[in-house]
Amino acid sequence: MADYRLMNERIEAMLEQVQKAPRYTGGEMNAIRKPWDSVRLHYGFCFPDTYEVGMSHLGMKILYGLVNQEPDQLCERFFMPWLDMKELMEKEHVPLFSMESRMPLCDFDMIGFTLQYEMSYSNIIAMLRLGNVTELASERGRDEPIVVAGGPCAFNPEPLADFIDAFMIGDGEEVTLEVTAAVRDWKPSGEPRETLFKKLAGIHGVYVPSLYDVRYADDGTVTEIVPNCPEAPASVPRCVVTDLDGAYYPRSFPVPYTEVVFDRIMLEIMRGCTRGCRFCQAGMIYRPVRERSLETLRSLAMDLERATGYEEISLSSLSSGDYTCLPELIRALMRDMSKERVSISLPSLRIDSVLKESLEETQKAKKTSLTFAPEAGTQRLRDVINKGVTEADLIEKVTDAFMGGWSSVKLYFMIGLPTETYEDLDGIVDLAQKVVRCYFSVPKDKRAKGLRVTVSASSFVPKPVTPFQWEPQDTQETLKAKQAYLKEKFRGVKGVNFNYHTPELSYLEACFSRGDRRIGSVLRAAADLGCILDGWSDVFSFERWMKAFEIAGLDPEWYAYRRREKDERLPWEIIDSGIDRRFLWHEYEKALQEKTTRDCRQGCNGCGLNRWKGVCAIADAGHISQG
Amino acid sequence: MRMLATFRKDERIRHIGHLDILRAMQRALRRSGIPADYSKGFNPHMLLTFASALSVGAVGQREIMEVSLAGEIEPEEFMTRLNAALPPEMQLTSARLIEDTHPATMSMVSAARYHIALPDGDRKLIEEKLSAYLEQTEIITDRKTKSGIKPCDIRPLIYDLRVEDDGLFAELALTERESCKPAMLLTTLYAFAGLEPGRCRIIRTALLGTDASGRRVPLEDL
Repeated sequence: MADYRLMNERIEAMLEQVQKAPRYTGGEMNAIRKPWDSVRLHYGFCFPDTYEVGMSHLGMKILYGLVNQEPDQLCERFFMPWLDMKELMEKEHVPLFSMESRMPLCDFDMIGFTLQYEMSYSNIIAMLRLGNVTELASERGRDEPIVVAGGPCAFNPEPLADFIDAFMIGDGEEVTLEVTAAVRDWKPSGEPRETLFKKLAGIHGVYVPSLYDVRYADDGTVTEIVPNCPEAPASVPRCVVTDLDGAYYPRSFPVPYTEVVFDRIMLEIMRGCTRGCRFCQAGMIYRPVRERSLETLRSLAMDLERATGYEEISLSSLSSGDYTCLPELIRALMRDMSKERVSISLPSLRIDSVLKESLEETQKAKKTSLTFAPEAGTQRLRDVINKGVTEADLIEKVTDAFMGGWSSVKLYFMIGLPTETYEDLDGIVDLAQKVVRCYFSVPKDKRAKGLRVTVSASSFVPKPVTPFQWEPQDTQETLKAKQAYLKEKFRGVKGVNFNYHTPELSYLEACFSRGDRRIGSVLRAAADLGCILDGWSDVFSFERWMKAFEIAGLDPEWYAYRRREKDERLPWEIIDSGIDRRFLWHEYEKALQEKTTRDCRQGCNGCGLNRWKGVCAIADAGHISQG
Repeated sequence: MRMLATFRKDERIRHIGHLDILRAMQRALRRSGIPADYSKGFNPHMLLTFASALSVGAVGQREIMEVSLAGEIEPEEFMTRLNAALPPEMQLTSARLIEDTHPATMSMVSAARYHIALPDGDRKLIEEKLSAYLEQTEIITDRKTKSGIKPCDIRPLIYDLRVEDDGLFAELALTERESCKPAMLLTTLYAFAGLEPGRCRIIRTALLGTDASGRRVPLEDL
């Protein structure tokens, strides 16, 4: 305990010297503080980015509440410190400490990273190093923490296989407690780590990379990933919470003192999406669509409002406009919350949702900017990516929005999509111009002042478990030329603000998202070179990453630009996402033929979930057609 | 009616800024179900004010807030409910009802009391130099104003300054027109003692108002 007091004093002294000290202070309302010795399992939940980003993340709030509900377990939060704090911690020999009890990362029994985006991988290694945890899983001592990871990027676990003891694939609500219980029971047993790993490998949805061997062909492609012990399954199925309405959802969240990115109540109204956009990994890995009931959501919203005092609730899901009774839900929430003066916001609006009525409802509370994501500029390319919206849809919804008093619209597009031509780029400009004209066509006395159209073009990154997983990414030169072309075209367009992302980041994302186990050596070399906080453009260094690839002897172009063969064994296929590779290939072929696939609510498209009985009602109905 | 309450801002949250503490208090009031009143108009906001903003990095032992009420509530009930809705680092220490005619606490503040803990290495020299420092007829330092940095004499703004426990006791002017922040005192004191600025812990122990006889007394007692 004397050590602990000393460390606390050092932390307090460091906080006098850093920028944004509130990132590190903790002590927020609803933070859960259990006496350290009162539990048998200490779980450190790590978000590999800064406090402001991590505290905006819904998954963390769910799992934080879930584990802390267990009387003999505690869960505390860790975030990536900013550069100034990191430097001080290294200088003063203060290990990465938790937000709640300020205990060092290495003192936890189990630590878990959430993998939300590839460019946070460097922070994982940095956090392990700062937390005095041996970074290579193979070299960790018996009593070092068990290091786990989950989240969407865990659907290709291979790039992180060197560092993570066990991956939890899919929905975390059930598997997390199975894993924490196993670690809790194993810890005092004296058995080696391998005994635990073999036990974990038997849990549905858990992938233990050390129990598998990878074989490569001469050309560098993976030929197979095979279990090296009988306990490890030949294929690891993902976890699916079938009854979302009955699944755990917190009724209280820690409320940060300082403003974070999403500083509001997040109410997950449903999980999954039936649209089947071909570029979208989330649309594949969260299948099938599962809704929470109106009554559950009302009760959650009420409790969360009482527990947090937030002024705003956002309805969150991949496609909130698709929620079966959205207008009823919004009306009910507005009624319930009117006394509390809470406003309700809907992110990720899809432009073909039945939203006119909902729009009118939300504006009673607050007017924010509306976001639409046509993703591609022409109908041809929207058919390729199966984004089932038309120009007429967009114009109609935008007109409704302008009539409803909105004047700020964001339009999201991707460039570098498969089969894209410059005609498709012209289509982006054309669509933006139509939106501008649409605003001016609304009578002056009916529209709000100050039109603001923001066109955002991100660069397409082919993702595992999507129909485009075989596709090469556009080269950086091509992407830069396309960006320059659009920039030039938008120069003459009034009322439109055009922005785009640096293609270097998307290039690295492409390397990691479809990387194999050898990427681990790149990540270590990058960490040695000081790569860190790559999501922050003022810190990110592309040169350092290129150097890291060179040191590791790997060619990033091979990962990003290579077209995969139809029969190539893809590294992430050790995971059974539930989506059949034949379905993905079929979708890929249809994409190239510019053929669309219907929304699964209109009938089963045979994605493969029918193999798992009781998971998808549409698949179980057995109505399979290849559309 | 309005509720006037005192609260603590503890060490752990001393880096949280004034506006963030204010918002945390607002949210706590919302959580507590206390019938706080809101302004009328297009963008209603809760009628909650702090008598004085506390500097980032300082601990507060008896900070003062007032909130307008839209319904009846007893002070004891107010304290119990609000404390249950606040984190342990930010708790009320007293509450009482005040009439609508009671002046705004913000306009009543005339001075503040501080305890300043000095680093071990600096304490002896500072204590030795203290009386000579106070004997100066003027103490000029920079003061940030809206129109830029201006020189300012803080000597008349130091009402009391003496050794107390592991550091100093200070009573300093704090009004809208003229005030002496602890940092201004420390900058000049350290320079006077010929020391490099040290890392002192500042604790505001009370906000003061002036009573009918002109004495400075804790504001919450007025």
